[in-house]
Amino acid sequence: MTATVARRQRAGVVATRARARGRSGYLLGAVCVAICAVMLAPLVMSVLASVKPTAEAAASPPTYLPHGLSLDSYERLWTYQQGLPTYLFNSLGTALLAIAFTLALTVPAGYALARFEIPGKEVIFVVLLLALIVPYQALLTPMFLLFARVGLTNTLVGLAILHTAIQLPFSLYVLRNSLSAVPRELEEAAIVDGASSWQVLLRILVPATVPAIVTVALFAFIMSWNEFLGALVLMSRGSSFTLPLILAAARTETSLGGTDWGMLQAGVTISIIPCVLVYLLLQRYYVSGLMSGAVK
Amino acid sequence: MFRGRRSRLVGMAYLAPAVIFVLVFTVYPLGQMVWMSFHNWSLITPPRWVGLGNYQRALADRQYWVSFLFTLKYTAIITPILIVGGYLLALLTVERSPLRRLTRTTVFIPVVIGLGVSSLLWYWLFSADFGPINKALMDLGIISKPVLWLGVDADRSNLAIIASVTWKVMGFGMILFVGAIQAVPTDITEASLVDGASYWQRVTRVILPLTLRSVLLVTLVSVIGSLLAFDQFYIMTAGQPQNETATSVFYIYLNSFPYLRLGYGAALSLILALTILAFTVVQLLLTRRSHA
Amino acid sequence: MEVHGMRSRLRWLVLVAAAIVLLAACSQGSDTPSTTAQAPAATTSCASTGELTMWERSGGNKQMVDMLVAAWNEKNPNCKIKLTYIPHTEMVGKIAQGIASGEVPDLMGMDLIYAPQFEDAQQLVDLTDRIGSWPEIKTASKGHMTVATFENRVYGVPLYADVSALFYNKDLFKRAGLDPDKPPTSLPELREYADKITALGGGIKGYYLPGNCAGCNIFTVGPLMWASGAKIEAAGPGDEPLVGDGVKQVLQFTRDMVKSGNVPEGARSENGETFHLQFGSGKVGMMGTGNFNITLARQQNPKMDFGIALLPGMAPSSAASFIGGDLVVVPKGSKRVDDAVNFMKFLLSDEVQVEVYAKALNLTTRTDMVDNKYFQAEPLVQDVAKALEVGRTPYTLTFFEQINSPQGPWLKMLQRAYYSDDNLDTVIADAKAAMKTIANQ
Repeated sequence: MTATVARRQRAGVVATRARARGRSGYLLGAVCVAICAVMLAPLVMSVLASVKPTAEAAASPPTYLPHGLSLDSYERLWTYQQGLPTYLFNSLGTALLAIAFTLALTVPAGYALARFEIPGKEVIFVVLLLALIVPYQALLTPMFLLFARVGLTNTLVGLAILHTAIQLPFSLYVLRNSLSAVPRELEEAAIVDGASSWQVLLRILVPATVPAIVTVALFAFIMSWNEFLGALVLMSRGSSFTLPLILAAARTETSLGGTDWGMLQAGVTISIIPCVLVYLLLQRYYVSGLMSGAVK
Repeated sequence: MFRGRRSRLVGMAYLAPAVIFVLVFTVYPLGQMVWMSFHNWSLITPPRWVGLGNYQRALADRQYWVSFLFTLKYTAIITPILIVGGYLLALLTVERSPLRRLTRTTVFIPVVIGLGVSSLLWYWLFSADFGPINKALMDLGIISKPVLWLGVDADRSNLAIIASVTWKVMGFGMILFVGAIQAVPTDITEASLVDGASYWQRVTRVILPLTLRSVLLVTLVSVIGSLLAFDQFYIMTAGQPQNETATSVFYIYLNSFPYLRLGYGAALSLILALTILAFTVVQLLLTRRSHA
Repeated sequence: MEVHGMRSRLRWLVLVAAAIVLLAACSQGSDTPSTTAQAPAATTSCASTGELTMWERSGGNKQMVDMLVAAWNEKNPNCKIKLTYIPHTEMVGKIAQGIASGEVPDLMGMDLIYAPQFEDAQQLVDLTDRIGSWPEIKTASKGHMTVATFENRVYGVPLYADVSALFYNKDLFKRAGLDPDKPPTSLPELREYADKITALGGGIKGYYLPGNCAGCNIFTVGPLMWASGAKIEAAGPGDEPLVGDGVKQVLQFTRDMVKSGNVPEGARSENGETFHLQFGSGKVGMMGTGNFNITLARQQNPKMDFGIALLPGMAPSSAASFIGGDLVVVPKGSKRVDDAVNFMKFLLSDEVQVEVYAKALNLTTRTDMVDNKYFQAEPLVQDVAKALEVGRTPYTLTFFEQINSPQGPWLKMLQRAYYSDDNLDTVIADAKAAMKTIANQ
């Protein structure tokens, strides 16, 4: 049997199967829609709850759809203590710094581990990853004392450093794998032309691993944006608080420790929006980054 | 690629910033934590040397075991759900049709929103009197009075939290599996079709074995993450009832902060880290054997 | 091998460095006392200029604290207070960290029951020489001043006061055929009345017991035990907790209340976050709660007619109350002790007591200011102020772990009493043992 005949036979079988699948395809399509609904429902409900008037938001039992629209909860959140803009600025600033620090450290380090003959580099790699298994909650007190000595408490830089330390192992893992996977032919030509290692990194490897870099940046952003305990430990001035601290406060906000449900939902909604937006915009890079960088 | 003594130094120069950073901000605090574990220290009183006292105390501490066993239970239940669920979702959405891609995107959205926010969201959803889940269940006639999901019964709280974490995290496994499944060469799958294999036979005999590596990776990540679980329990049950839903890391947190027993918290952390290391090594060994 | 050698040398270096750092950190603890013999006389205005930093715990009476700080800031624009709220579950840890790192606020509000712990650890500034002879101290809330004192030295003054009392729904009393002006004066009577109110049906219950909130319970069930002659907390190492028949009697009372259906089922999961909304729902006949609930209930349910009585014990006409709230204290290392003391004088001044505390229908922190025009217009507030006279505040160095912790023996004992059939003697013995262990650390 020639190759052509074999191929045609395969194609025939595939086509038959595809037609059979077409019928069950509707069922599976319905399943997909159901799954999407289940995944989105909690988020949608939270957004809806955040635009309910205060009394309705605190009603028991709750209503599904808002009976009236009101931005009361957002107003309360906006003017809460130092004001939402301050907290947003702090959260955003920390997250951006964390991304910068993470990339500045892990891109060169991944490059070194992927391309250079460093003695004991496998050992070093494993050691750098070890931080993944230590619960960072217990490391917070020693880190706090360290930061206090060098004046990094109550600063965004300090918190960003903490976040970078937490994110480093994962980021390094992804970047090293990704950089290793770049075909060497790309660099060889440049090296023959006399390019330095730095130029090779910047001009060739970085563009080739954009998906992994975007992945690392996105995970660093999400982690930093949502991190709570470290921020609580490092920040003792209201003006340095980040958004998650305010969300925690909303739970004991009304007189004598009651939950302000409306403000909580408003806070949840505001926390979610940047993450989802960044994800949707960068999806293309990010998804392929995960798929290529991790399955090695 | 780059060889020779000089390139070795250049390589170390690239590696140096990360290594120095880790030495200062991870290894040094870790060293201090080890030191702390041999002392009793409450921050506002001077530290007192106790040698291995904290470790001995942990072994005899009832709450330590309660926390550890609960954490194991949580891990044992949620990991298969994440693996199987993630894999099924991957199989469902692996095709490149618009609907499937939309599903994939949607399932992944909860992954990007942060565990703390997700826990708060589900804390509200599961609230006995203020949350929509009970209201919906009552409206549908499934229950007649509000169910106390969180903080009253350890197993029920566990299930509620598992539901919320599954919602949040499943997309991560799904995406990795999709990547692995898409990497399976199509002629192999087509060949099996010619041989008359049904869909599920194809999945179990062909696709699964070829994507085993990703399954093991996701399992490993899931297990480590679950053993280190904290945020969701802190936010949704605060360890209630009676510390039965306080995971290992939650107990470490309690000792390190409100109870101000820093030495003990440090000792517990080290014990946990070593336990996880042991788990990981075992898992990696099993992986290597199955590949060999 | 080379790598091993380098790593072990490195680890040694790290440990030595850590030890040095820590020795340095610990020796920082011995600050020179900032109170001098020549402390200036206190006034209610600035001692020096510049912003004052103040911490206060969340989950307290935020409105009151905001009002007090605003009043100070209005009067003293040159030394305004910048207030930061710290999540109350983290407050103890945060204060400890602040003190250990030297980054303390100039003054702080603190849940009063934690004060003894910090006084014992010498982490608060001793203010006896500056404020000990103030006349206001003699009439300040005795619950507050008890915990603000350690070994005869004074460390702070009240910031605001909460007391617990028995709120009862007069409308429901009338419907159940009870005299709305005769609230129960003993626990057996309370049970009788509750039965009658629950019999009204329609989701109405005679009583309320928060099932998952340690603090709510010490606030509202603790006084039932005190009124029955019992003692609850272990003050320090070697002290015996949970002493007296009253403990078992009250636990039996609460168990019977739950069993007989007098308590709403949802109360079992009440962790404090919606505690303040329960009485105002109008569905609860009687409930132990705090003075803060007066305005809240009015806002929630303006048409509800309710009254306030004292929390009773087993015997008729026995009563007790929990005096809670916050203290203002000065952490060690604060650089503005004089200003902090002036703030304290401000809080205790006649004008502030009447025009800020009383006007907002909050308790005055001085018992001699209870008779004022605002309270006279509000009989309910006068009723609740009576609780100050029979009230007390627990004194222990490990309050959080013994009692206030969601994971502690107090809540565990109550939950077993309310919801299980475990033998009460065992339940009490277990809690006693746990509390003693904690106190003995």
